[in-house]
Amino acid sequence: MYRFFCHIGVALAAAVLAACGSDSPTGTESASTARGTLAISPPLRIASVDAATFQAQISATASGPQLLEITGAPTCGVDFYYIKFWTVGAAAEVTESSGALMVPTGAAPACSGPRPIVLYAHGTQFEKAFNIANITDPTNTEGALIAATFAAQGYIVVAPNYAGYDSSTLGYHPFLNATQESGEMIDALAAGRTALPTTFAASTTDSGVLFISGYSEGGFVAMATQRAMETTGAKVTAAAPMSGPYALEALFDAIVTGNVNVGSTLFTPLVTTSYQQAYGNIYSVPTDFYSATYATGIATLMPTTVTPYKDLFLQGKLPETAVFDSTTPVVTVPGNPVLSGELTALLAVPSNPANPLTPLFAAGFGNPYLINNSVRVGYTLDAASDPDGTATGSASIAAKAPTYPLRLDLYKNDLRNTSWAPNSPTLLCGGENDPTVFFSVDTLTMAAFWSLLPLGAVTVLDVDPATAPSGPFAAIQAGFQTSQAEEYAYLQTVAGGGLSPAEAKEQLVEEYHGTSVPPFCSIAARAFFSQF
Amino acid sequence: MTKFAVRALPVALLTLTASLAWADDVPSNTVRVGEYWLFYHVYADNIKGPYVPDGLNLSVKDVQTPYLAYLRRLATNFTLELSFGVPPLTKTYGKGPATVGSVPYNGEEISTARWLAPSVLMQYVFLDDSYKLRPYIGAGFNYVLFYDRDSTAAGNAAAGGPTRISLPSSLGPAVTAGLNYQITRNWSVSASYSASRVETQLTAHTEGVARTSNITFGPQTFVVAAGFSF
Repeated sequence: MYRFFCHIGVALAAAVLAACGSDSPTGTESASTARGTLAISPPLRIASVDAATFQAQISATASGPQLLEITGAPTCGVDFYYIKFWTVGAAAEVTESSGALMVPTGAAPACSGPRPIVLYAHGTQFEKAFNIANITDPTNTEGALIAATFAAQGYIVVAPNYAGYDSSTLGYHPFLNATQESGEMIDALAAGRTALPTTFAASTTDSGVLFISGYSEGGFVAMATQRAMETTGAKVTAAAPMSGPYALEALFDAIVTGNVNVGSTLFTPLVTTSYQQAYGNIYSVPTDFYSATYATGIATLMPTTVTPYKDLFLQGKLPETAVFDSTTPVVTVPGNPVLSGELTALLAVPSNPANPLTPLFAAGFGNPYLINNSVRVGYTLDAASDPDGTATGSASIAAKAPTYPLRLDLYKNDLRNTSWAPNSPTLLCGGENDPTVFFSVDTLTMAAFWSLLPLGAVTVLDVDPATAPSGPFAAIQAGFQTSQAEEYAYLQTVAGGGLSPAEAKEQLVEEYHGTSVPPFCSIAARAFFSQF
Repeated sequence: MTKFAVRALPVALLTLTASLAWADDVPSNTVRVGEYWLFYHVYADNIKGPYVPDGLNLSVKDVQTPYLAYLRRLATNFTLELSFGVPPLTKTYGKGPATVGSVPYNGEEISTARWLAPSVLMQYVFLDDSYKLRPYIGAGFNYVLFYDRDSTAAGNAAAGGPTRISLPSSLGPAVTAGLNYQITRNWSVSASYSASRVETQLTAHTEGVARTSNITFGPQTFVVAAGFSF
């Protein structure tokens, strides 16, 4: 009997072995970690929507109908791919990063075949988990905007999440680091181009036309990328940086001297951590820079794993608005009491009643506060001795490298710190009342900096001009102003929260940079790109 | 009618189970070949994992496959059965929303797997060898090995790319009840109904992300077979 069972066992085993084929495989993980390498091929498609479904999904969101009014109804469906690729951090650390590849699909002629690529850089995100490819996340409004504006109209979109976000193993984000961020954009583009033929939408191909755009931090990144590519002779068809802090030195000079922008308590740790990792010169210990109230853990605080990020305020990790001490520091310039007095006055809590932004700027002061007064004093003394051109009526960067570490780092990354000027047609879009990235300090400074370029090389669009809408983008300007008026009225209705006129105005200021301007600048960028 | 039927039944059974001339010379080994109807009775949790919308679930289509078994007579009333079906191609279908985004889902064949499920059952066979018709009951274990696990084109489209399916093997209890009719000394026919419990976890690996669903099968099988004893 034993022998018989053995035979059965052998027969069964043979049957199993004979029947066992191989299971179906999944994607291939790249063995190379060379920058620009697609880490997993083919990439994961997170979602696939046809034009009608995409339109229905956007329409179902609170702000969707307005968005579609601006961007137009989708012509194409969109496949959303999640790409992972290899890049490097600020100190050349090898790291994986991730991002989106959005591919137009559908039968319309604009939705397949050779199509242009928009290489897009997103605005600052405070939460580490951000993934612009994840269109199933209702908080991913920028991903939806870019998809509706570009991909659903026939543009292939490549958009990195940035190192330090999502699945990236880098322990910080190289915020406003022109070299790292532009390099990562180029790596994402290479990975996106590698991925494209492997997708479900392989009939959509790269036409070789390349547009670069981005908003806010991404506006800075877009311009830095345009510079990096053009400097090495790579082809850029056109670029449209939007609302970016291009003139970093000028912007921070303005902030440190009291023009505290909306969101600065969140931006500050991103900046300091980035430059500390890249240059190691911001502080020896965090309390050199930060008040003892907030110094603990601040080096690794941002981008945060706390969701929603505003809970950081409730948890006492950051102040909501008080970036500076409400007690004005005394600045002493040896042997120059007049200048000492002027600089001390410059650091006082803003109180000019003629400036409508004074209440906003004043809200940036308090106690407890984020940044030590010693930082403001050191920074201001440096700015006084080596001023940015914007302080003296020009558009130039400081005449020599600053000595104060933070200011030196900003100077290094300021996009005026180069002999480069755009070789490809460039649109600089923004809104002149931007309370976060000041339009006059950044966009207009860059326009003035490049004022000697041939006519038409750089186009500036203010979607919110003080004068009546005019020029080729007049319809967009008029649309923005109408939208602002409608939102102002809506905020005062019961459905909009029943705000008082003053509260509604304050709310509009808060929404201006992150919510109101982006769709209008994005549609302007698309109109600009459509010429090429 | 009822009274007649009740009275007539024992008579009929007696006829069917009339004593056999070869009762004293019963072979110890039997091989059965037949057909096997497999009803999966699946309960699956909704699929969980990155980028999976709510409400995605699975169903499995019932199958029919050839049945093979070896039985060893241990005593007059005890038989050990080792059985398995020719591994059927089990098809998994999407269950839930009609589409995921714009990709068809509900009712789409999303994956297939071969299902090798040998069972070992100890049977208690009623009556003795002198009866032609003998009912039996049994209990034992069922081992399920999944292989040739493939995601279909529709499955890949729904998952977002080429997908590798993982379905760990499972060991669970099994019970059976049946009837065997001994036609001759060597030949018999049988019919049985069996039930077992299989728990596994389906994991779909797609381009670096894994989505899972805990699946409980309560497979029930109906078997009709011819047996040869030797």
